[in-house]
Amino acid sequence: MPSKRQLTVAAGYAAASAVYIAIGVWYTDFLLSFWVALAYLLLVAWLIPTGVRRVF
Amino acid sequence: MAHSHRGAEGLLSWAAHDLEPYVIQKHHSRLKIAFVPLLLGSYAPDMMSKWFVYGIHIGGWDLKASDPVQFHRGWPGVGFTHSLLYGVVIALLFWRVLGSRTWGISFLIGQWAHAITDTGDTVGTMLFFPWTIHIHFGAWAYAGQTGRMTDAAAYFSGPGAVWDLVWIVLGIYSWRVLTRSYFEEHVFTADAFWSKANRFIPVAALLVMYRVAFFYGTSRWIAWSLWAHVVHHYPYDISWGGPHWVHAAHSPPLTWPQLAGVAAILAAAAALAFGSRLDIGKRTLAAIRSKT
Repeated sequence: MPSKRQLTVAAGYAAASAVYIAIGVWYTDFLLSFWVALAYLLLVAWLIPTGVRRVF
Repeated sequence: MAHSHRGAEGLLSWAAHDLEPYVIQKHHSRLKIAFVPLLLGSYAPDMMSKWFVYGIHIGGWDLKASDPVQFHRGWPGVGFTHSLLYGVVIALLFWRVLGSRTWGISFLIGQWAHAITDTGDTVGTMLFFPWTIHIHFGAWAYAGQTGRMTDAAAYFSGPGAVWDLVWIVLGIYSWRVLTRSYFEEHVFTADAFWSKANRFIPVAALLVMYRVAFFYGTSRWIAWSLWAHVVHHYPYDISWGGPHWVHAAHSPPLTWPQLAGVAAILAAAAALAFGSRLDIGKRTLAAIRSKT
């Protein structure tokens, strides 16, 4: 079974996915590129959390 | 060439091609597999062709294949990108030019997974190119020629969507391959690409990059399904060959001599595989005997 920490990470990705899906359904061109998905995920799953950790 | 009906076009491929590499990765035990070429192999056939199937807008030019099905899966066309031989050629290039056997084998596995998966639709692939017959199971409708949006609506309304869902479930079942420890112990160490990238990019970001295809495939499957069925109300039809509301392209069924040819190729491949296993077994036995 996944650990609590692993589940927290998965929940973070699920939240990022929910936003990605919402944008994608509204504007389907957002879904077409792997590179857009990569940039989006790097932003929300790495860059923003890293920035927030540095600030607080 | 005909004119495209839409502007800046990207690639639309199915979620199975995003998720297969993670599942394959979980089940490799004897072979050393590198994730980047595995994913590259899984994307390669459509990367080479699908942009021209739907059309692309470059500067003032709209480029689109006049016969998208023939271009995507046929010969003449770039249908050879969906053949087993194409995977072998590129794998040999990786092996001989880049000097990486692991990259070659990993690319081969990814590309073969894609080529075999696409035999599931009504057009199929020229799996045994240069023999140009199309191997097809006709499980879901091929509708690339109808344009990106209708193609997406059709795919996510038929057995293709179920097939993708199977890969999503298998991907979730293989959740351990997505963990940080798995990445650090197996993925990072299997391929020098990651340590080279790590000179400029921290491991935390590389881990996100490793997970992106899983994220992309799963999220896109949900998003297109919502778009097709909540926003646009396309009907589901998961019967064999469906959805039947779309004008699908079809390859002719195989004749008996063609089926016999395919069976002969498969039998020869099975015999070769069995023979090489037997040979490896004999060598192992001989090595054990010489030690004792």
